[in-house]
Amino acid sequence: MSSFGFGLITAAVLAIATVGFTMQFAVTNVLNLAYGSVMINSAYVTYYLNIHHVTAWVALIGGVITGAVASWCLNRFIFTPFQRRNLAPITIVIVALGVDLVGTFGLQAIVGSSYVAFHQSAGNEYHFLGMILNGLQLIILAVCAAVLGLIHWLLKYTRLGKAMRATSANPNLARNSGVKTQFIISTTWLISGALCGLAGTVFAMNTGVFEATSAQLYIVLLLAAMFLGGPGEPYGAMLGALIIGLSTEISAAYINPQYKEVIAFVVLLGMLAFRPYGIFGSEKTL
Amino acid sequence: MATGLSAGYDGRAIVSGIDIEALPGKVASIVGPNGSGKSTLLKSLVGVVKVLEGQVKIDETTVTNTAPEEIAKLGIGYVPQIDDVFPPLSVRENLEIGGYLLPRRDVEASIEAVLESFPRLKGMMTRKAGKLSGGERKMLAMGRVLMLSPSVLVLDEPTANLAPLVATQLLEEYIRGFADAGSTVLLVEQRAKAALRISNWTYVLGGGRIVLSGEPKDLEENPLFVESFLGGAAPTR
Amino acid sequence: MPTAYAFYLTTILVYGAVDSMACLALNYEFGFAGVSNFGFIIFQAAGAYAAAILSMPRAATANGGFQQYVLGWNLPWPLPWIGAAIVGGVVALPFVFLVGKRLRGDFAAVGLLVSAVLLNELVKDYVPFLNGAAGVSIVPAPFQSKWDPQGLGYQFAYGGVAIVLTIAVYYLLRRVTESPYGRSLRAMRDNDIVADSLGKNLRKQRAGVLVLGGALAALSGAILVGFISLWAPGAWGYAETIVLFAAIIVGGAGNHKGAILGAILVPLAFEEITRFIPPVANPTLIPALQWVAIGLLIILFLWFRPNGILPERRRLLSTGPALNTVEVVPDDGDSDALIKLGNVDQLNFRELLHLDNTVNDNRVILSTTGLSKSFNGVTVVSDVSIEIHQGKLTGMIGPNGAGKSTTLAMLAGTLRGSSGTIFYDGEDITSMPSFKRAQAGLVRTFQLASEFKKLTVLENLVSAIPKQSGDSFTGSLRGKRFWGSEDKANIERAEEVLEGFGLSQYADTYAGGLSGGQRRLVEIMRALLAEPKVLLLDEPMAGVHPNLAHKIGDQLTKMCESGMTILMVEHELSIMDAFCDPVIVLAEGMVLATGTMAELRKRPEVVEAYLVG
Repeated sequence: MSSFGFGLITAAVLAIATVGFTMQFAVTNVLNLAYGSVMINSAYVTYYLNIHHVTAWVALIGGVITGAVASWCLNRFIFTPFQRRNLAPITIVIVALGVDLVGTFGLQAIVGSSYVAFHQSAGNEYHFLGMILNGLQLIILAVCAAVLGLIHWLLKYTRLGKAMRATSANPNLARNSGVKTQFIISTTWLISGALCGLAGTVFAMNTGVFEATSAQLYIVLLLAAMFLGGPGEPYGAMLGALIIGLSTEISAAYINPQYKEVIAFVVLLGMLAFRPYGIFGSEKTL
Repeated sequence: MATGLSAGYDGRAIVSGIDIEALPGKVASIVGPNGSGKSTLLKSLVGVVKVLEGQVKIDETTVTNTAPEEIAKLGIGYVPQIDDVFPPLSVRENLEIGGYLLPRRDVEASIEAVLESFPRLKGMMTRKAGKLSGGERKMLAMGRVLMLSPSVLVLDEPTANLAPLVATQLLEEYIRGFADAGSTVLLVEQRAKAALRISNWTYVLGGGRIVLSGEPKDLEENPLFVESFLGGAAPTR
Repeated sequence: MPTAYAFYLTTILVYGAVDSMACLALNYEFGFAGVSNFGFIIFQAAGAYAAAILSMPRAATANGGFQQYVLGWNLPWPLPWIGAAIVGGVVALPFVFLVGKRLRGDFAAVGLLVSAVLLNELVKDYVPFLNGAAGVSIVPAPFQSKWDPQGLGYQFAYGGVAIVLTIAVYYLLRRVTESPYGRSLRAMRDNDIVADSLGKNLRKQRAGVLVLGGALAALSGAILVGFISLWAPGAWGYAETIVLFAAIIVGGAGNHKGAILGAILVPLAFEEITRFIPPVANPTLIPALQWVAIGLLIILFLWFRPNGILPERRRLLSTGPALNTVEVVPDDGDSDALIKLGNVDQLNFRELLHLDNTVNDNRVILSTTGLSKSFNGVTVVSDVSIEIHQGKLTGMIGPNGAGKSTTLAMLAGTLRGSSGTIFYDGEDITSMPSFKRAQAGLVRTFQLASEFKKLTVLENLVSAIPKQSGDSFTGSLRGKRFWGSEDKANIERAEEVLEGFGLSQYADTYAGGLSGGQRRLVEIMRALLAEPKVLLLDEPMAGVHPNLAHKIGDQLTKMCESGMTILMVEHELSIMDAFCDPVIVLAEGMVLATGTMAELRKRPEVVEAYLVG
């Protein structure tokens, strides 16, 4: 049962990350494989604030801002110009990989390769419902749940959120209705970038010790969650993250824990082979 | 109103030498065989297709090649032939996006007004637009546009894919109704006879140019009219 | 020469050869066939491991049994290398499910990338298989019992063998890609849906490409492991594939020499440059900067010079005197009006299109019963039953949204129907895939631009010709001596058609550079050369000047007189009038009426459908 608790944490962090990633895909139709590098850079910004005597949770704001700004720049200066050239989607993905290399290893060149950790206490342990979670994990859970709730509120109840959903469904019609789609797309990258920054920082907090390449393999879990729920579907992303997060941790209780991530891989490959539009998508959306 | 208009994709003109006019309280229709450029013409009026030559004016304002977002602000409502709603959004949300440019407090009132015109939509406010039937979808598409109470309505083949009865109702009740209420209506239609029935003035397009134009009753008696549809009247340049 | 430099030189030779071979293989997959194998490193690793465990002695007894691995058959050279290549090819097979289906290119690529990560993790974690994270070491070098692998002479010989093998791979791949098979691969790369509609078996082609690429990648791995004697998961992270992609992008995708150049400039140069940089305090700084440089190379080259330093070369096929190849044609709307069709009336369609054996007997050659199609609950085509008679030019008309294009797509196999059956030439083809239908003579064209952009006009035409002996992997291997004269005859036939339609001067121009009307003609010519028995034309006159349209119509009539059957979906009713008999009218997804235009005009329901509501 304790693995259920770990699963919840993993799912929560993964959900934040995946919702951001899938929003970027929904509005720009690009698999932003540079997402992991933005995550880890945001974590490091938080870390540097943290070691300069800012408490971790306040320093988090720095990470969130970093993620937002970096993602916005990524769209403005890389993806949009390349997309204007009408290249095959695969080319943009290769560009994204290039950016990921620059972002991750540029960071490593600057900060070195030693492991670091936040100055924060793990808090007390709490036992309930068979789960053992420490204070830090509970806060992570709470923050993630709150942010997911915020996103839900944004998408469903605000004018901006509806404009975002309209733009990703039918950009031409949105423009006809008076929506400034350019602005909406930029804002989407800003918001999803903030999620990316948050996810990166919380991921680093949860992992304990981290370094520049720690987030490189996270993209696999992310892709699995996204394709499970359906590319471009934020609610699908949340569901996918929940399933992947829980199943990887719970499986660790039954099989050799080293292999727990294999489930994510198998799910991803299975979805790509049989149902690439995910649980919530349909053939037409692809 | 368009004068000397030429428009097309990638620099190649699909329609040229177009002069058309639409007046308040009246329905102007554009008919013609497939491939004559009707859709392209309409799209060039609302900023979706590039105008290569000529001008488009609303009253005295020149709006040639204005971006679609601005067109909406000028009181022009455009209903495309396909992709006319936001499928993953609910009916209510579709209408709300239609009212994007309205001040927050007026949106509800506008929705009420639209529902007056299309009472069938009242019971489906939470249904996703992608799940509506053809007729309901078209009503929603028009409702979206009506949210801004546009003075000009531009409709691209509104009855495409609709069953004949629904189509007739759409044209005769709703579309004619908008004109009678004072709006300017410009529509492109494939069902030429039905369009004639509700129009004050009709343009016949063929091979990218205006072949005939006039009042419906005059056109119906013109033998060239039927010819232009069932083949033969496409002019050679 | 000081010994240190000499040894260094041997290292360069081996690494240069290995990297070149890997890049040649990846370029074959990505640059020529359009298969984005983001998991390429898997295959090189498979080869290295295979060569290792085939040549090493049994794990339990070797060197005190400190390693765990499977096999250990202690085979002498060259068996481990041959085994490695076979393993590489076999490992490729399961991945065909990712690239064979119509999955978006970037999604499939991501699937391959993820597979590389997964396999790396699994090998790391499951120690008994390949010794886990520590990897296999003390891999025997070929002939090490006879000659000292540490000796300079041995190492030079090793380098020499590696280079010879790489050169052999170069010539092998060149033989494959400069053949009709290679042409089909490039067509698949440029527009896979169209290639499929012309009879190319995409799954088989992609499988073949992955298998050959995998085998060659594995060979490169085997050569490397024999030299450095060890191989561990750290050596084959997914990022290694990115380095190779960068190499190809820099060197030139679609160009074999470009692949080799890229291999020398990127993986090789990058590794070697670091030897000359003085050590810095932070040991990970240099490798990190290397990765940053790779990333920047990718971005900058894709922005400024996406075709690489040595771009893909144009293949000049024309057999006539050298023409001034026209590069980009100015797209002037009026030029289409002036297109003269040349000596088209002299074209003997019966001969050119191999219609000689068809008898014009007016039998029903294509028919459907109860054909329907629904998308998401919306019925687009409903209970359509039609009969197409051999030798007739049948038209299909109807208002927008009537289901014409959908019906045509179902006939061609592009779309699977929701219900109903389709019969062609006496056979039930309802579940036959589209490429097989094309091979059986049921060929379609597309409404939107569908030329193979990076193939010349002549290549576009010749690629459609069926039953080319050089259009298979084995056929390509047998070389020009095998398929050369047949190909020459095919080219001449294509040139004849090209001349007939008045476009000879564009024979060696890239098809992507022509005007709209010219591209339309190329598509029609290409469809003809596919030797269709039944040709399905999807709005062939769309956007074509009426003069040209009528000229094309004349030719279509001639083709039907020569024994072909044509079903044409069109809007231009004057075309229907002049050329089509009978005409099928569709409205709202159902067949409304059939007859000649004159008859249809008299039918009130047809007039209603077109004019009324």
